[in-house]
Amino acid sequence: MNETGDWKLELSDYYSAESLTTQRSFDSTGDGLAVLRRRSEAVDVVVTKLYSRFFSPQLDEPQNFCLLALGGYGRRELFPHSDIDLLFLTENSREQPSRRDAVAGILRELWDLRLRIGHSVHTLAECGRLYRDNLEFNVALLDCRYLAGDRGLYARLHDDVFPHLVARDHQDLFRNLADMTRQRHAKYGDTIFHLEPDIKEAPGGLRDFHVCRWLARISQLEKRKAWGAPEDLWPAHWRAEVGTAFEFLCATRCFLHYLRERDDNQLSYECQDQACARGIARQPAALLTAADWMRIYFRNARSIYRLTKHLLEVSAPARAGVYGLFQNWRSRLSNADFSVLRENIYVRQPAALAQDPALLLRLFEMVARHGLELSRDAERAVAEALTRVPATPLDPSVFFGSFRQILLFPWAAKALRDMNRLGVLSALFPEFQVIDSLVIRDFFHRYTVDEHSFMTIQNLHALAPPRSRSQGPANSGVGSEWEDLLAEILSELEKPELLYLALLFHDVGKGMEAPDHIEGSLQALDEIMARLDLAAVDRATVRFLIASHLEMSATLQRRDIFDPETVREFAGKIETPERLKMLSLLTYADIKSVNPEALTPWKTELLWRLYAATENYLARSLDKERVKPVAATVSPADKILPLLAPSAIREEVDSFLEGFPRRYLATHSPQEIALHFQLAQRLGQEAVQADLRTLGSLHELTVITLDRPFLFASITGTLAAWGMSIVKAVAFADAAGVVLDTFRFVDLYHTLDLNPSEADRLKSNLVDVLQGRMELSKLMSGRIRPGSVQKPKVTIPSQVRFDDTSSSHSTLLELITYDRPGLLYQVSSVLAELGCNIEIALIDTEGEKVIDVFYLTSQVRKLPPELQGAVEKALLSKLQA
Amino acid sequence: MKKIEAIIQPSRFDAVKDALHDIGVDGMTVLEVRGHGRQKGHTEFYRGNEYTVDLLPKIKIEMVVPDNLAEPSVQAILKTAKTGKIGDGKIFLTHVDDAVRIRNDERGDAAL
Repeated sequence: MNETGDWKLELSDYYSAESLTTQRSFDSTGDGLAVLRRRSEAVDVVVTKLYSRFFSPQLDEPQNFCLLALGGYGRRELFPHSDIDLLFLTENSREQPSRRDAVAGILRELWDLRLRIGHSVHTLAECGRLYRDNLEFNVALLDCRYLAGDRGLYARLHDDVFPHLVARDHQDLFRNLADMTRQRHAKYGDTIFHLEPDIKEAPGGLRDFHVCRWLARISQLEKRKAWGAPEDLWPAHWRAEVGTAFEFLCATRCFLHYLRERDDNQLSYECQDQACARGIARQPAALLTAADWMRIYFRNARSIYRLTKHLLEVSAPARAGVYGLFQNWRSRLSNADFSVLRENIYVRQPAALAQDPALLLRLFEMVARHGLELSRDAERAVAEALTRVPATPLDPSVFFGSFRQILLFPWAAKALRDMNRLGVLSALFPEFQVIDSLVIRDFFHRYTVDEHSFMTIQNLHALAPPRSRSQGPANSGVGSEWEDLLAEILSELEKPELLYLALLFHDVGKGMEAPDHIEGSLQALDEIMARLDLAAVDRATVRFLIASHLEMSATLQRRDIFDPETVREFAGKIETPERLKMLSLLTYADIKSVNPEALTPWKTELLWRLYAATENYLARSLDKERVKPVAATVSPADKILPLLAPSAIREEVDSFLEGFPRRYLATHSPQEIALHFQLAQRLGQEAVQADLRTLGSLHELTVITLDRPFLFASITGTLAAWGMSIVKAVAFADAAGVVLDTFRFVDLYHTLDLNPSEADRLKSNLVDVLQGRMELSKLMSGRIRPGSVQKPKVTIPSQVRFDDTSSSHSTLLELITYDRPGLLYQVSSVLAELGCNIEIALIDTEGEKVIDVFYLTSQVRKLPPELQGAVEKALLSKLQA
Repeated sequence: MKKIEAIIQPSRFDAVKDALHDIGVDGMTVLEVRGHGRQKGHTEFYRGNEYTVDLLPKIKIEMVVPDNLAEPSVQAILKTAKTGKIGDGKIFLTHVDDAVRIRNDERGDAAL
């Protein structure tokens, strides 16, 4: 072996031996930081030896040239298979040609040692420029370290040129670094809760830790014109926690590099098992399962992620523009309980949180409503309050009132994540604890179970139309025509809070020992809903959503949704349009939250088409799906009879129900049906029975009577005369000809709100009109206020469409137009005047759009074509007048 | 080796995949596609608007199998994807010269 071979071999042997010793040391101690330090020292030895061989035996020569370490190597944080970044710095470009051979020699020897090298050759002046398209180079200089060569040249870069660059371009540096960080976070769904996280790049990973250092260093250089320990600028209460997290990640990344023998940083399921079994990051292996070990990972990643977000926010250069004004404006959100400063909420009287749990919930309402951050002080106050929660439980009505608001506000997912992180969610709902940071290994799911649940809520809120930051999170996915249609049905839900509640808890069963996770989720929900004191009908809706949450997805994947039989069968399981809307939205949110690619536009279209086909089926199959005479053992009367007087006779209940569309049973509670039966029983005493009640901002009128001409028109006319705007109506008839019409209306002039006694007079007017004791025209001329009619805000052309195929004995009329007072009276009058009998009516108002479906007969038959033409002409004429 | 491309109804995918697995075909590439052949589109009315599907959703399966598995694969797909209605899809076969497994350089049938 010649002399050249000897030194190469010596160098190679030295590096191999050092690497082996370092790895053995890690195997026995698990100390990741020691690995980083030792490998950096070993590479230093190799690089400086090469430098002395190729440049000068004197390490501080030649003049006007030096070799620097950048990035991780510059920080002395070389992981076992990390790249080694080198900068060959020259005074000016004239120096470079003469150094080329020596530089190439060093690089060749390093490659021969199988080291992965990233190198660049720059002049001092080039290092003082901002590279907007290569920010990585500017950032790498934040960690530069002298290795060999002209110390004076290095000192000029370190003490003069680079600090000047930062002083001049710190805003650009900060902005670009912040943009790059946010883009990287977005790529990972803005969450740390990945089932198989990349511990370097994912939010809360090592890259974020370094972003925190870089931000602090930029700030130090800008403000103090000096280099210092960047951690000194971090908030003191975060330093220890983030330092521990860094140590954990370093040990884990070293373990991954040694295990895979390359720079692969994904913590796969297999690696999680091995890391746990080996007690990596100094965790006691025997005490942990892989899921527990991952919980420790998430806790550490969360610390780093929160510091990163905090520093990105507070380090932002003062902006005098719109954003600055906006931030100032946000401080006006302060109220008697909370103050808002630079997007952070502070509790005015922290001690009051422990005394008043309602205040605690209002704090998170504030987060959910405005997307604000909790200040560190507020978090400490919450933690303190949780240790002193009063023994008396919260009043369920107050409790659910606040929690409902949190679910409905646009930043609900953020508030829920904060509540979960601080332990408030588990305090309110211990059932949720079983899925906290829970990893369930699954090929498709990318997030932990709790994060998946939060993401469903986030994705559903993001469906809403584009909003400003103050109004809600932007939709991160690509909006499509189908998502716009789903957004429309979201805006129509009567009780969206039930859907959000179902989403939050739909997978808690995955953390329970129940054989089937749906069964577990239902058990948990039953207890939760009892504590929230939800009405029975609402509990049934939430139970339905949980029990069916995989139904629509399964139908999409395994059935031909263009086959009418598939639609009929699916509709049979859903029963009502409201449930269909909720289940469609739940399915959308659930699939979209599995991973960012799970819900393709292809699947979204299939989902919407199944929704539309089923919705159409539900509206057009009412006379096919009727309550039939049934064996006593399965009679729907079974649920009604216990609510009636002991004297009630089953056959009479059966007789009342027979012939009603089955939807009647699905859309009314047993209590409501019992009331309707009792009203129907009194028809012998008074031929018109009416019940009027208030439902939130709406009123609901139920009329039961025998069928007669102009019945529907007379009721709608009376309501119009009283200034009531009908938003929903359903008209059914049973086999005996008993008509049951239900109207939900808005009291435009607050007549009933201001004068409760007027309710009786309204009912009395109605009975008189229907009994022929009062003329409707006279009532209308005295009360209707045409001058108050406003022009529609949007143009909706009136459309009339007939369908002779959906029903065996009725013609379906679908009418779409814009809403206006008295509309339903106008339509039903036209129909009555042309001799059309309304068998079934489904009236719906969505915003300013009215969508009405009437099942019509004329002389007990479908409408002949000429009558259809006459109805269309008369309706369009009336509606366009 | 033969490359098999099958365009099938989405609802038949699970059954086709299981049948192929049963005869020893484990690997396949699956694409969500749209297209049309003789099957006409589909129209749905929703709130006064007409939504026409000109290109129907289908699943496309692509796989390369040894020659001896080509015909059994075709039969497995035929058996499970057929409903007898227009729109059941099509199967295409082409000859493949070679295959290489990137991980370990294996070639030919061994790479499948």
